[in-house]
Amino acid sequence: MRRRDVLRTGGLAAAALAAPAIRSAEAQAGKTLVIGGSVPLTGAAAETGLNVNNGYITAASYLNDVLGGVEIAGEKYRIELKLFDDASDPARATTLIQRQIDEGTNLFLGSFGSNIVLPTAAITERAKKPMVQTGGGSDAIFTRGLKFVFGMFPRATRQFAATAALFKTLEPLPQTYSVIYTNDAFSKTAGEGVRLACDAAGFKRIDSYELPAKPTDVSSVLGSVRANTPDLLVCVMHDQNSLLVARQMIASGTNVKLLFQGLGPQLASFREALGKYSEALLCSTYWDENVPFKDKFFGDSRKFAEYYRSKFTRPIAYHVAGAAACIETYVLAMQAAKSTRPEAVRDALAAADYETFYSRIKFTPEGDGDEILMGGMIGQVQKGKLEIVYPKAAASAAAVYPAPAWDKKA
Amino acid sequence: MNLIAQTLADGMVLGGIYALAAVGFSLIFGVLHVINLSHGILVLIGAYLALIFTELLHVDPLLTMPLVMAALFGVGYVYQRLLIQRAVDSSPIGSMLLTFGVALMLQNVMIWVFSPDMKNITPGWAFASFKIGAVTFDAVRVSALLASLVLLSCLAALLKFSALGRVIRATAQQTLAARLCGVNVRHVYALTFAVSAAFAGAAGIVIGIILPFSPHDEATWTLNAFVVVVLGGVGSPAGALIGGLLLGVVNTLTAQYIGPSFPNVTMFLLLVLLLLVRPNGLLGNAFSASR
Repeated sequence: MRRRDVLRTGGLAAAALAAPAIRSAEAQAGKTLVIGGSVPLTGAAAETGLNVNNGYITAASYLNDVLGGVEIAGEKYRIELKLFDDASDPARATTLIQRQIDEGTNLFLGSFGSNIVLPTAAITERAKKPMVQTGGGSDAIFTRGLKFVFGMFPRATRQFAATAALFKTLEPLPQTYSVIYTNDAFSKTAGEGVRLACDAAGFKRIDSYELPAKPTDVSSVLGSVRANTPDLLVCVMHDQNSLLVARQMIASGTNVKLLFQGLGPQLASFREALGKYSEALLCSTYWDENVPFKDKFFGDSRKFAEYYRSKFTRPIAYHVAGAAACIETYVLAMQAAKSTRPEAVRDALAAADYETFYSRIKFTPEGDGDEILMGGMIGQVQKGKLEIVYPKAAASAAAVYPAPAWDKKA
Repeated sequence: MNLIAQTLADGMVLGGIYALAAVGFSLIFGVLHVINLSHGILVLIGAYLALIFTELLHVDPLLTMPLVMAALFGVGYVYQRLLIQRAVDSSPIGSMLLTFGVALMLQNVMIWVFSPDMKNITPGWAFASFKIGAVTFDAVRVSALLASLVLLSCLAALLKFSALGRVIRATAQQTLAARLCGVNVRHVYALTFAVSAAFAGAAGIVIGIILPFSPHDEATWTLNAFVVVVLGGVGSPAGALIGGLLLGVVNTLTAQYIGPSFPNVTMFLLLVLLLLVRPNGLLGNAFSASR
């Protein structure tokens, strides 16, 4: 027998053997629901981008492999993710999203970083395709009249309300604060949010410092902080910059009664890098595996975390949960709409009021997360672990205030 | 007065680190006439190697310097012979494209190997500080500055007093004459690149101790090196040191007295100004050495 004949016969035999299995899988799974998008797996935002990507994969694989697909309007669907690496580059991300729209993708998940979510959301908006995302909190995403984008957090200027409320409960009551933020789309609006919330809560602002988007030295700012020391120092910037600020504060002996770092201390790697000095640092967190919410698909947060750990060795973070909740929210909206049409799904998302393992999902008319229901929690590092200290309903420990000086942290 | 002294001290410390990170770039530009856009990657490889050796050998990260420099010396030599040499005699755009492509590829390899997560090297003395008068010094940054000064002095001595240094300088000044005198120019190019890579690796250790790092940081260190070299002049450790110190002091003075978000603005203003007023760099050999 010639080589070509052997290959032909082998191929036909393999196809014949595989056919029943393929038919069985098709019968079991029914239709395919394609959800597109881009995520930063390389570049500046890759660390959190990887968490977002893992969250998307966890939800899709649980719904497909464990539950055998999801039922929408009486039909069974398998979820197919079409996610591409945008390299943390908004220009590349917009090209990828436009291409997917041209290819007929109807539903989108968001990338990570307001600078990417904003231009990609503008493209999906023009095409009238919904985007559910957990990576963009900048106010600009939610104040331009976009109707098809939904976020799993409140907009940046509203994210600090819970922290300001916590500050009001501290004893003795802090009087003054300073804020440091970096010059990027998210941090800048988050810094504005800190000022709005703290001023409204009656704290006196001493200083507001804007750093470059990627600082390499903050010694001059810390010199000013030492000269005019506030009770509370609030840093809103990405993890890497938070670590730089904390390290230089420790080394220069810059002490405040409480240091809040919006992003950073929620990561195990961050706490490990600072060791004992991470004690009493405060941060925002939007999810914890001990939150008491019930979930239609996973059951609860702990079961979600268990399933995640069965698939990934990377430590779980709240962005993982937020990303998985994006897919759940889509499914719940489609089930409510009894349709997969983009306009119908968009209307169902706008009317969403679902309990998931992540939080109760309810969006404002502008599309960002409800300030109260999705406003997140405040964590504090205590004995190396992140404990929830606010709101009281979810608290696992009381807030430590004032925090010990750096040289007293043993 | 205290504030000025503190700001100047912080600027000098930062400048020393910039200088060390830039000296390899300067040497390659001066001798091979190649703008090495993969310089930042070599710096980061040094940082990652230091992290690995520190964890494996349980030693202080600064003690890993000989190992890291030796490894980067080898990598640099092979990189030059296999790839850079092909671009040496082509147009400057050719070498820039080549090194940019290598940087992109190696950045992704590093993400694949080390993950995109930020890493940091934390020696036992990472958070120590001391005071001289009213000025507070961060021990990590001061040790980084000292390491930079020692290494830059060693490089200056190597270039001035050793046979290899003489050959490198001769090749930089008159490549054809050096070749006519029997110098194996290709070998000298490769050795120069290897020495530069070794110093980039050493800078990586110092940077890894003071800053968190991840693979996407490479562009920052290439850009800083470029600015330092334009300010200070090409091809000499002294030029890199002057350029680095100037950049560091301008950065901290701007942050302190104009605003913390303005250092990049003044950095590029200074760059443009110097290109207009003194295009050869402060030490005056920028384009004579690099054609």
